[in-house]
Amino acid sequence: MKKFNILSIILILMLVLAGCAPAEQPSQANPQESTQQPDSNNEQETDKFVPQILFNGSSTLAPVMASISTNFIEGFVTWDKVDASFPEENISIYVSAGGSGQGVKSVIDKTSDFGMIARTVKDSEKEKLTELKEFKVGVDALTLGVNPQNPVLTVKDNLTTDEIVKIFSGEFKTWKDLDSSLPDKEIIVITRDIGGGAHEVFQSKIMGDVQVKADAIQAPSMGALVTKIMENEYAIGYASFGVVNQNKGKVATLKVDGVEATKENILNGSYIIQRPLIALFSGELTAPQQVFMDYVMSPEGMEVVESMGFVPAK
Amino acid sequence: MKDRREFIFRFIVVTGAAVSSVLVLLVFFYILGESLIFFRTVSFPEFLFGSTWSPLSPKPEYSFLPMILATMYISLLATAIASPLSAGCALFLTFNSHKKISRFILSCIDMIAGIPSVIFGFIGLVVLVKFLERHLHMTAGESVLAGSILLSVMLFPYMVTGCAEAFENGKAKYYAASQSLGVSKWYTMRKIILPCASNAIFVNMLLAFSRAIGETMAVMMVTGNSPIFPKLLGRAETIPSLIALEMGTAEYKSIHYSSLYAAGLILIITVFFIQLAAHRLNSAGRRNTL
Repeated sequence: MKKFNILSIILILMLVLAGCAPAEQPSQANPQESTQQPDSNNEQETDKFVPQILFNGSSTLAPVMASISTNFIEGFVTWDKVDASFPEENISIYVSAGGSGQGVKSVIDKTSDFGMIARTVKDSEKEKLTELKEFKVGVDALTLGVNPQNPVLTVKDNLTTDEIVKIFSGEFKTWKDLDSSLPDKEIIVITRDIGGGAHEVFQSKIMGDVQVKADAIQAPSMGALVTKIMENEYAIGYASFGVVNQNKGKVATLKVDGVEATKENILNGSYIIQRPLIALFSGELTAPQQVFMDYVMSPEGMEVVESMGFVPAK
Repeated sequence: MKDRREFIFRFIVVTGAAVSSVLVLLVFFYILGESLIFFRTVSFPEFLFGSTWSPLSPKPEYSFLPMILATMYISLLATAIASPLSAGCALFLTFNSHKKISRFILSCIDMIAGIPSVIFGFIGLVVLVKFLERHLHMTAGESVLAGSILLSVMLFPYMVTGCAEAFENGKAKYYAASQSLGVSKWYTMRKIILPCASNAIFVNMLLAFSRAIGETMAVMMVTGNSPIFPKLLGRAETIPSLIALEMGTAEYKSIHYSSLYAAGLILIITVFFIQLAAHRLNSAGRRNTL
């Protein structure tokens, strides 16, 4: 009974201390932290073997990375099986999704080893990441997806950039505005959240300075966006090439300026709405990190990228 | 020995209370601190009375008004739908059904409260939204109405439990007397139990309303999340959905990031005042009926 009491006191004390931590963090200047941490990190790299690797970032790339790392862990189990010079420790690779922005942030704050992004690295971000290394894992394209029942498919299989801009900005309100033979039904425009990687790519490649209309539906994830297209025959949205391939037959895609979203057209760059899937790293890779990234870029890793519907980088 | 035990027990109780109240304050001040940048750069009339939310356009505009209105609209409507239903349900369970059966039904209703909100959201998306599309001839069923109906189902268990408790108190106090006077059951319910529980029901509605304001996932999946002024059959975006959608990708420490904290602050303050009102009414009501 007494032991139990003491234990609970310790627990409560820990809670109290934990409660204090968030209050201190914001007051501590951030730049100080970032100058101190790389040093201690370098020491760790040379002195101690770190058996875990952390990934954080894009929700498009995360499932791919998770799947590759599962294969890696199941294939080798402990590090000494990967390479005889490594100690016998269990491999642990953690992948968490939170958006491209968070991927970059987590590498800058050192809360994860690798950041995953589904867009190019911005110049402002390059300034903060001095020893930036980019691993281009694959390419994703955004296709103009509609429901297979959508009457637009009977009239045309192609949209020009100008038409897409008019649809997404709300200038074309109904399908009839696009083509007079189409029904007088509202065009349901579906987008991802306006701050996300997918929207950024779409904005810069298609929309330019024109804003997407305010009454567009914002889907909380790419999966939700594609589900909505499959559910609603008057919907249109920029669906990820990978997710469309995972739902073959349930989503129809339209050509953009006469170019179809195929593997070849994406790789040779003629299909313009595309984005790279990149794993970011800042600093020098440790030996186990290097081995894992080699595995990601190997044919086995690339096979996973392709099986998830994306275009592998190699 | 006994002294020491008592001391330890007191220590645990006091630290527990201190930790939880300090935590609440910490959360509040952390959010206040993060939103300061926003309050310094964007003027009060702009964020409260503007009409457009476009934080990332070349000329950014930050107005919470459409989201505040949508949050109020959806939550009020949900409470309005749930209140009569749950009061009726609680009345039935208290007076008309066998005690064992009503206890069983009550525990079933309580189980609804345990269903994760994302499940509600998913059902709402594939059933409710589809239903509205088919029967109201809407091109897209995502709407304030869909959000309110879904939310009212989620509020139902809390309100039934609350109302049943109030009716049970009324029943214990007056039912035997009214029966011995030969008054009918339905008359007793209507003229005695309902008026005497009206205060408790109202407090219940306020609490349910403040719970509705904060609901995120389920509402986010069925309202379409368009930052425009809400209409019953139009799309809308609530404050919690706004924060959940944009927080992950907002640039760290930017005005956009800070504005989302400011939205959270507005939400906290609103809920705080509702809770305060509920508390006041509740204690006033207790004094009156006793």
